Amino acid sequence: MGITKVVEIPVVTTEVPIGPQHPALHEPIMLKVYADGEEVVKVEVNTGYNHRGIEKLCEKNTFYRDIFIVSRVCGICNAVHANCYVRALEQILDVTPNRRAKFLRVLSMELERIHSHMLINAVMAEIVGFETLFMQIMLDRERVMKAKEILTGNRVSADYMMVSGVRRDIDEVKRDKIKEILLKLKSKIEYYKKVFEEDETLVKRLVDVGRVKYEDATSHSFVGPLARASGVRIDSRASDKYDAYDEIPFNVITRTEGDSWARMMVRWDEILESIEMGIYILNNLPSDGNPVPDERRLPRRFPPGEAYTRVEAQRGELTYYVMSDGKTQNPYRVKIRTPSFNNIVNSAFMYVKHTLADVPVILTSIDPCISCMERVTLIDLEKGVRQRIPLKQLSSGGRK
Amino acid sequence: MDVAEKLKLLEDFALEKSVLKPNRKLFVVEPSYVRRIFESLIEKLGHGGFYLSTIVGTDLKEENKIRLDYYVVMLPEEETVVIRTFLPRENPVIDSLIDIIPGALAGECETYDLLGVVFRGNPFLKRGFFVPTDVSEKGIYPLRKDSGV
Amino acid sequence: MRRPKLIEVIFRNLVTKPSTVQYPREKTEVEPDSRGIQYADLSKCTGCSLCSIECPADAIKMTLIPQEYEVPKTNPRRLFPLINYGKCVYCYRCVKICPVNAYIVTNKYDIASSTRYTSENLSLATLKKVVSS
Repeated sequence: MGITKVVEIPVVTTEVPIGPQHPALHEPIMLKVYADGEEVVKVEVNTGYNHRGIEKLCEKNTFYRDIFIVSRVCGICNAVHANCYVRALEQILDVTPNRRAKFLRVLSMELERIHSHMLINAVMAEIVGFETLFMQIMLDRERVMKAKEILTGNRVSADYMMVSGVRRDIDEVKRDKIKEILLKLKSKIEYYKKVFEEDETLVKRLVDVGRVKYEDATSHSFVGPLARASGVRIDSRASDKYDAYDEIPFNVITRTEGDSWARMMVRWDEILESIEMGIYILNNLPSDGNPVPDERRLPRRFPPGEAYTRVEAQRGELTYYVMSDGKTQNPYRVKIRTPSFNNIVNSAFMYVKHTLADVPVILTSIDPCISCMERVTLIDLEKGVRQRIPLKQLSSGGRK
Repeated sequence: MDVAEKLKLLEDFALEKSVLKPNRKLFVVEPSYVRRIFESLIEKLGHGGFYLSTIVGTDLKEENKIRLDYYVVMLPEEETVVIRTFLPRENPVIDSLIDIIPGALAGECETYDLLGVVFRGNPFLKRGFFVPTDVSEKGIYPLRKDSGV
Repeated sequence: MRRPKLIEVIFRNLVTKPSTVQYPREKTEVEPDSRGIQYADLSKCTGCSLCSIECPADAIKMTLIPQEYEVPKTNPRRLFPLINYGKCVYCYRCVKICPVNAYIVTNKYDIASSTRYTSENLSLATLKKVVSS
């Protein structure tokens, strides 16, 4: 079955390619924007510039090697990817890490959430032309990266998760260092949040841009801050209570505005929540044994079984399905569904009726992570054809 | 409507029930019922009452079947349920959900291209979404176990 | 609308030193236990090739130790893990999986070079050369 219908573009519209080099972020995605004067009438999302076939690769490697392979799906959210996969393995093996390990896992994931949200907020400031704010936020983000380096041993690639535990423990000195960084950061974040709330330029560029209604968010399977800004309360930390999230107090941030500004504000509030969580973890770190398992003694054989784990990544709900047939050392099937996959592919309806200058703003407010999205894409420059859907159908939420 | 009531909707269609780790209710259904299940979900819960999280296709070569799992998250409790169905491996065809749930687009196109499951009624299915043309021209579906990719 | 006082920050930054580290001239500070390059201590290594099997990036190749080196008796096959740092992803799986804890870890991170950079010299330096009689 091939493409039967291609949407006819009226002659009066102009086609403006935005991307694939640096459309908003330094990531390869191309938005083919059809504009009538300044107004956007239709957007095609063309992707496929960044593709590796990770799922097939996972089937060809052993369970333990896959922990490090899935960490490389995305640089910014590597700890959550590894955590989700490792927890799926733990479900298959029926082992649980001790409480200290669970707390440390949450700490590494929350540090990651802080720096990822700071990055996208900084990029948003850059996109609207506020370079000073961009530089300031990036400078403070560097401190979080340092905290992550103290905890995991590397600024970006944490490689922190291991079946039934974590790979490094922290001592008193490191704990105090991380706590100091987080305490210092808190006042800064509150200040930046105020800038986003009050600054005229930012407010003018973000408010009422790219509004998503509650029903559209659920029927298009939007997840993460994008859904939470539209009032949809999706947070697998609160519902699944994996790792130590059942013991650590936190609030799920939702807003009802549903525009780009609300999405950025959700992120700022989540950073503040994460900082609180980080400080709580460091103050209440349980000491019930060694969180670091001896990797030489982990089980080599996996029993047959399957597990489906969800994790709240920075960009939304990330799910892993892992199946073991018990015969080989390799997983039978690994299915990764990243939040950006849902968020970007289904986002084309958001741009319509805004001006060309709003397109990068809306794209940035989704927090697209191209490498996350395209981990299954092998080689293809035509993936955009999937976007040749009558836009009315998309924007009406599929209801005819 | 609480979770038990929502699950009741699915239980009417279920051939068998089990639990997928960790604690996800799993309902095995006939392939021809899948679309009707989603229609009744929309009818009872509305578009804001659930979302389709992902579609996972697995090639079970030894049983000569292809397994399709629809992962649905019920809102606002965020209860993940799995709707599982089995298709014959030679001619896997199932009704598409695209016109009632636009979020199914990504999962359906991906499953078609990588496993060869045809979603009847989805006009956007095309070989070469993900797979490079040199592979797709041979008619190979990479995630099938005998594909040799 | 009240303007936030970003202007203060800007003026403060005008008089202070730039935050940017002038990298090649000035070293970036890393933690002493951050994950840098690692190499095998050949006085301990038994040549079992477990690290090579487990490496997720296929960066480790088991290689024959040249004849001029004295090899401990625990390594009868005279093999040592040769790490290609260009391929290595620094996950430290090899360090953690090694049955005899033979790996030496460093926090050295500046490994960019125009030639192929491997652990050959570092590892072989842990062995003594045969004194030709």
